[in-house]
Amino acid sequence: MNQPFKNLAMRRYLYRFLASIAFYTVFLVAAVWAFPRYHPTGFLAYVLAILPALAIVAVIVVVGLYLTEEKDEFQRTVLIQTMLCGMGATMAVCTGWGFLELFIGIPALKLYLIFPMFWAFVGFFTPMMQSRYR
Amino acid sequence: MFCSIKSPTERRYVIRMWVSAGLCVLFSVVAALVFRFYHPHGVFSYLAAVLPALPIIGALVYTGVYLAEEKDEFQRNLLVQSLLGGTGGILAVTTTWSYLEDFAHAPHLDLVWVYPLFWLFAGISYGFVRARYR
Repeated sequence: MNQPFKNLAMRRYLYRFLASIAFYTVFLVAAVWAFPRYHPTGFLAYVLAILPALAIVAVIVVVGLYLTEEKDEFQRTVLIQTMLCGMGATMAVCTGWGFLELFIGIPALKLYLIFPMFWAFVGFFTPMMQSRYR
Repeated sequence: MFCSIKSPTERRYVIRMWVSAGLCVLFSVVAALVFRFYHPHGVFSYLAAVLPALPIIGALVYTGVYLAEEKDEFQRNLLVQSLLGGTGGILAVTTTWSYLEDFAHAPHLDLVWVYPLFWLFAGISYGFVRARYR
């Protein structure tokens, strides 16, 4: 449990990640609370809607920073390979679902689910990738 | 056209990607015609709808095969970093757009655009990554 905290890059990543997720939670709750009550329009509506997404963009930047700061080449390689696999699987699901939506009219997949779907695939591929190097 | 590419691995990859793109266009036309003139139901409708996604899945697999086969570490790194840039870009855009759709009633972005947008971002990243190494 303490092992990741020995690694400086990992520690920084965790702090940054947790800060981004905290901002995400605050911004999302603010948006969900404000829209039904105050019905903001125009520029304010766009700003309120974009705020939770900015926190997610920050998470993406945090992962990028981790990849540049991580000195352990094994950790970096495993993360890069799992992210590439996760990206491939996410693109495959999105494209397949997209054509089913287009031609058959199956329920639309919310675009914000793509981000967690990508990380779910990354989590799925991580043990496989790690076992390849054992 | 492909003879100018000296690396056999890269040439194979480029040819496979062009074949996939061609098949995707062909299968999209076939699926559109089938749905327009035959109004398929049940399993057949799902198969016809998913047909254009198959070459795209093939292209994703070929990209993985290319990364595994490419001997030139510089070229491989260029593509890996571009793909990661593309992944970050597409995740940022889909999440932001999704919140704009939900809260600010922005027009719906079809899932079929996710894959071409991903390659657009990967292409933009490629330019930046190449410039970094000059």
